[in-house]
Amino acid sequence: MSFVRFAVRRVAEMAATLLTASFVVFGAMYLAPGNPASFLLAGRSASPEALASINAQYHLDDPFLVRYFRWLGDVLQGDFGRSITYRTDVSRLLADRLPTTLLLIVMSLAVVVAVGLLLGRIAAVRGGATDSAILVTTTFAVGTPSFVAAVLLQGLFAVNLGWFPSSGAGDGGLGDMLWHLTLPAVALALYLIGMLARVTRSAMLEALDSDHVTVARSRGVPERQVIRRHVFRNSLGTVLTTGGLIVSTLLVCTILVETAFSIGGIGQLLELSTTTKDFPTVQAISLIIVALFMIVNLIVDLLLPLVDPRVTLGTRSAAV
Amino acid sequence: MTTTPPRTGRRFRGRRGRLSPASAAATAALTSVSLLAACSGPPKEKAGGVTDVKLSASTPEARGEIDSFTWAVYAEPPTLDYTVAFDYPQNTVLSNVCESLMRWTPGLTTEPGLAQKASNPDPTTWVYDLRPGVRFHDGKEMTADDVVFSLGRQRDPDNAAAWAQVFQNVTSITKSGPLQVTVKLNKPDSQFPQYMATAAGVVASKAAVEAAGKDYGTTGGLGCSGPFKLGTWNKGQSIELERFDNYWGTKAKSKKAVFRVLTDPSARTNAMLSGEADGGYLIPTESYARLRGSGTGTLYFGEGLSTVNVNVTNMQGPLGDIRVRRALSLALDRSGFVKAGLGGAGTVTNSLTTRAAWSAAPERTLKTAFDSLPPTGQDIEKAKALVKEAGATGKTLTVATSSIGQDVSLLATAVQAAGTRIGLDIQLKTIAPNAFTALFTDPQAREGIDMFPLTYYDSITDPLDLLQNFKTGAYMNFAGYSDPEYDKLVDRASAVYPLEERMDVEAKLQHQASDQLLWIPVAEWPTALFMNKRITGAPTTISYMYYPWAADVGAAQ
Repeated sequence: MSFVRFAVRRVAEMAATLLTASFVVFGAMYLAPGNPASFLLAGRSASPEALASINAQYHLDDPFLVRYFRWLGDVLQGDFGRSITYRTDVSRLLADRLPTTLLLIVMSLAVVVAVGLLLGRIAAVRGGATDSAILVTTTFAVGTPSFVAAVLLQGLFAVNLGWFPSSGAGDGGLGDMLWHLTLPAVALALYLIGMLARVTRSAMLEALDSDHVTVARSRGVPERQVIRRHVFRNSLGTVLTTGGLIVSTLLVCTILVETAFSIGGIGQLLELSTTTKDFPTVQAISLIIVALFMIVNLIVDLLLPLVDPRVTLGTRSAAV
Repeated sequence: MTTTPPRTGRRFRGRRGRLSPASAAATAALTSVSLLAACSGPPKEKAGGVTDVKLSASTPEARGEIDSFTWAVYAEPPTLDYTVAFDYPQNTVLSNVCESLMRWTPGLTTEPGLAQKASNPDPTTWVYDLRPGVRFHDGKEMTADDVVFSLGRQRDPDNAAAWAQVFQNVTSITKSGPLQVTVKLNKPDSQFPQYMATAAGVVASKAAVEAAGKDYGTTGGLGCSGPFKLGTWNKGQSIELERFDNYWGTKAKSKKAVFRVLTDPSARTNAMLSGEADGGYLIPTESYARLRGSGTGTLYFGEGLSTVNVNVTNMQGPLGDIRVRRALSLALDRSGFVKAGLGGAGTVTNSLTTRAAWSAAPERTLKTAFDSLPPTGQDIEKAKALVKEAGATGKTLTVATSSIGQDVSLLATAVQAAGTRIGLDIQLKTIAPNAFTALFTDPQAREGIDMFPLTYYDSITDPLDLLQNFKTGAYMNFAGYSDPEYDKLVDRASAVYPLEERMDVEAKLQHQASDQLLWIPVAEWPTALFMNKRITGAPTTISYMYYPWAADVGAAQ
C-alpha cells in the first residue's frame, strides 16, 4: 500500500478513535454517581443560589449532548477547560504533571527493552542451565504485580539501604528526577521484563529452528553472525508487535506505581479527578492516554517492515 | 479507572508474517493475563496497633531555630484559596500562611487573632476591632477594607465557598472605621463568632487577591499575613513555605516548612522512618507500632474532637424502628473495633460528641449530657430480644464499606458481625473510594444502603457543630430525621451567646440524639502526631487545622 494512503487512513482512524473514546468517557463520567458541585463545596451544604451559580459556571445542568458538544467545540479550539476541583486551567494542570509521567514511562520502557531483550536472547542462545535460571526468574517477575514490586523495592532500597528516596519525583532537576524515578521505573518494568524476555526467547528459538539458519550454518557463517543477522532480526518482528501491549500496560500501571511512590504525575491526577468527577481533567488525561497508545501502535507499524521485510506497510503478523 | 485502549480495526493486506503455534500461544496467553496480573490492587497490611495510649497536651518546646523541616501530608490541596479550604491537607498547610480574625489555640480555646477585640453590643451585631500594623505578604498593611473584601468572597455565591453556610445569618459586613468592621446578623448566631477562628474568618490582601484573579490559590502568593508565606509549589509533589520576616507576632522558628505529598500510607510511614519527612499528622493506624518501635522519633496522641460513628441513612427500612438501632448498638464490639480499626488509639464511647468539645461546660451540664446514655458494653441476649420484639429477625440490612481506611472497613465488618449474632442479615456493600465520598453528597449514591461508617470532626470547640446535623433538612441528616422539639432546641442553642446557658441546651440535644441513636456512636478518635528526634514543638490537638502550628516547630536539641 502506498505510504500516502496509509498515512491518510491512519490519521482518520486516530481521529475517529479519539472522538469515540472522548464520547464514551464523557458518558461514563456523566452516569457515575456524585455531583461535581457537591465535591466543590467540600461536602458542606450550600445555598440554592451557590449551587445554581456553580451549575451555571460549569454548565452542569445542561443536557448531556449539549455539554459534550460544548466541550468538543472548546477542545477543537485548543481549550481543554478549567478543572472543577483544582480551579485552574486543565492545560496548566497537565503541563505541571505530564513531564513526570512521561519520564517515568520512558525510563521504564528503556529498562524493559534493554533487559528484556538481553535476557530473552541469552536464554535462547545459551540454553541449558542459563535458560532454566532465566525462565525461573522471569516466572517470578511475571507473577509479581507492580504494586507488590513497588512495596518490596521501597522496603529494600529506600528504607533499609537508603540508596534511593522512598517517594516523590524530586524537585525539578533532571538528575534528581532520574534518581527519584529509578525505583518506580523498575517496579513498573519488572513484570514487562519477564514478559518480553519470554516472548523474545520463544521467537528466537523458533527462528533458530528455521531452515535458513540451518542453511546459513552449513555454509559456515560464523555463529555470532547467524544469531545477529538471521535469528535475532527475524524474531524482532514478533517482539515489536508486543510493543503496543507493553506501552498500554505501562500507561495503566503507572497509576498504581505513581500512587505507591507518591509521584504526582497524571496517573495519580486521573485517579483523583475521577473521584471528584472533574470532567475536563478526566477527559483530557483519557485522551492523552488513548493518543499515546495509538502513536505507539503507529510507530510499531512503521518499524515492522524495516525489521521484517516479509511484512508490508499497514499489515501485521498475527501476534497481537 | 482508565479507559481501555481502543483497538483500531485492521484489515490485513498482502502477505502476513508467520508465527509458530507455540509462540502465538505464548504471546496470546501472556496478553490475556498481562493487564490483569500486571497491576492488581495494594496488598492488605496487618494492623500494627499500640496498647498504652495516653493523650499529650503538648510536645516539648523547641530549643532553637532550624533551617527547614519536612512534613508529610496525605494529599495535595487542589487549591489554597481559603474560601474552599475545608479538608485536612489544605487546612494543615494554610493555617500557617493565612490568619483569621480570631485564633484557635492548641488548647482548643478561642482568642483574638487579626482582630484585637470582638464585641457584641447587641445580639445581632458583632464588631471586630483590628490589630494595627499587620503586614500582608505582599507588603501592604491590613485595613478594614481587606476584611470586608475577604469575608465578602465567602458570601459570594459565584465563588462556591465551602464556608458559605457560616454566613447564612449575615445580612451585612461593613467598614465602620479604618480598623473596624461591623457584622450584622438577621438573628443571633452563637456559631458565627466561633467560626471566625477557622478558615471562614481568614483575611487576605484585597490587592493580592484581585491581582491573582481566577488563579488565586493555585499560582503566585496568597496575600495573607501568617508567619509563613507561600514559596515554591511543585505541583503534585510538594509545597514550600518560607518564613515571613515582617510577621506581626512571634516569628517562626524554622526558615522553611516543606510539605511533601505522600498519598500512599506505607510511603508516608517509610518517609518518616527514613528521615525524608521529619513528621506528620494523621498517621496511618497500621503504622503506630512501627513508628513507635523504630526509635527515630516520638508518636504523640492529642485531642481530636473526632468521633467514629455508624451513620444511619435509611429510616424507611428495619432501622426505622429504634429497637433495631438499640439492638445493633448493644451488639457492637466497640473495644474490638478500637483495637483493630484505630490501632488501639481511641476510646469506646456512647456519645456522638467528644468530651473535649464540652471542655467549657460546668459539671452539672456534663452530667445531663453524658449520664444515662445508651451503654457501650455488649449485651447480645438483650439485643436479640429487641430484634425479635421489633419483628426484624432475619431482615436484611446493608452497610457500605470501602478501602479508604481501617476506620471504615473494619467498622463495617464489626457491624456485620454484630448483626449476624442477633438475628439480622447484614450485607456489606463494597464501594470504590470515590463512590464512598459520593455518599455524603449524592442521595442517589445512598440508595439501597442503610448505614455507613463515618468519622466526624468538629471545626470549632462546640458540640453543636455535630448536633445540628439532626435538624430537619440539615445537610448531613441523611436519614431525614425530623422532630420539631429537636429543631427548636437547635435554634435556641444557636441563639444563645452565654456559654453555660448554651451548653445546657446542647446537653439536651446531645441526650436526645444519642438516645435516639440517629448515628450509632462507636469511639472517640484522638489525633496522632509523629516528629523525629530532630524537631519538636508542634501541637498535639486538632488545632493544627486553623492555628499556625508550624511556627512553633524548631530544634529538639
